[in-house]
Amino acid sequence: MIAHPVSTAKTYIFVWLSLLGLLLLTLGSAFLSLGAFNAVINVGVAFAKAILVMIFFMHLRSGHYILRIVAIAGFFWLAILIGLTFTDFATR
Amino acid sequence: MSDSAAVLIARQYDDAQQQRSAADLGIWVFLATEVLFFGVLFAVYTMTRFNHPEAFASASRLTNITLGSINTAVLLTSSLTMALGVRAAKLGLSRPLVGWLCTTIALGIVFLAIKATEYYLDYGEHLVPGLNFAYAGADRHAVELFFYLYFLTTGLHSLHMVIGIGVVATIAAMASRGAYSPAYFTPVEVSGLYWHLVDIVWIFVYPLLYLVSRS
Repeated sequence: MIAHPVSTAKTYIFVWLSLLGLLLLTLGSAFLSLGAFNAVINVGVAFAKAILVMIFFMHLRSGHYILRIVAIAGFFWLAILIGLTFTDFATR
Repeated sequence: MSDSAAVLIARQYDDAQQQRSAADLGIWVFLATEVLFFGVLFAVYTMTRFNHPEAFASASRLTNITLGSINTAVLLTSSLTMALGVRAAKLGLSRPLVGWLCTTIALGIVFLAIKATEYYLDYGEHLVPGLNFAYAGADRHAVELFFYLYFLTTGLHSLHMVIGIGVVATIAAMASRGAYSPAYFTPVEVSGLYWHLVDIVWIFVYPLLYLVSRS
């Protein structure tokens, strides 16, 4: 039988605490007036949280590499979708 | 039953490992399409906010940041309980598996209840476009656009939550009948991946709708 790598419950709880910490960070930053950096922090923290969930809860760390390629492809096409649309609005 | 049952292998697969890898790849491809499905809404959001930055800041201040933040914590916690459920399935701990899945369902229902409360409060504040929208300040139309996006995005997300709760409830019922074992737990894992993706969607929805500007 193939061995399935199993993370410890401790790892999951640590990831969860990190996610809650990042939530407090992004929430707190919204109350500071930082100009464009408010959006940068919000989106940056969102990506950090999403990556934590994908690596640990969704097992991208231990999964087959092709799963990581598929995950990256999803976000890559999203970047094309938003990026190319933006070339229109940003240059009018 | 669960310890003695051999894994059923469909005829197109060589072995259990290949069958499991195919399921993993299948759900990840589906999740990538979900990223693009919600991505369209994020693209519309980005362009509209780019064109009306001030209106989006004012509109965002009208959302309920307390309930929105609590809901984010609830959903992040439900991802933890789901991950612990999949872990229990891998280790063949059937009672904890059912327990974690039921906790996940309960947290999902709490999320939806808080969301419904929020919608009710939004209605009371005349924030529902097409129903009772009223806004006295400047940029009325851009603020209304924000709330169209707010209800469309959170509504579609809630629909995914309802589907997720149904899926996890089905898996929990199967698990309580001993359908899974360390040799076969693919349905638990695949449902978990779907649940986590719905969580990830909210991870992006939350700052974009609730945290544009609070200072």
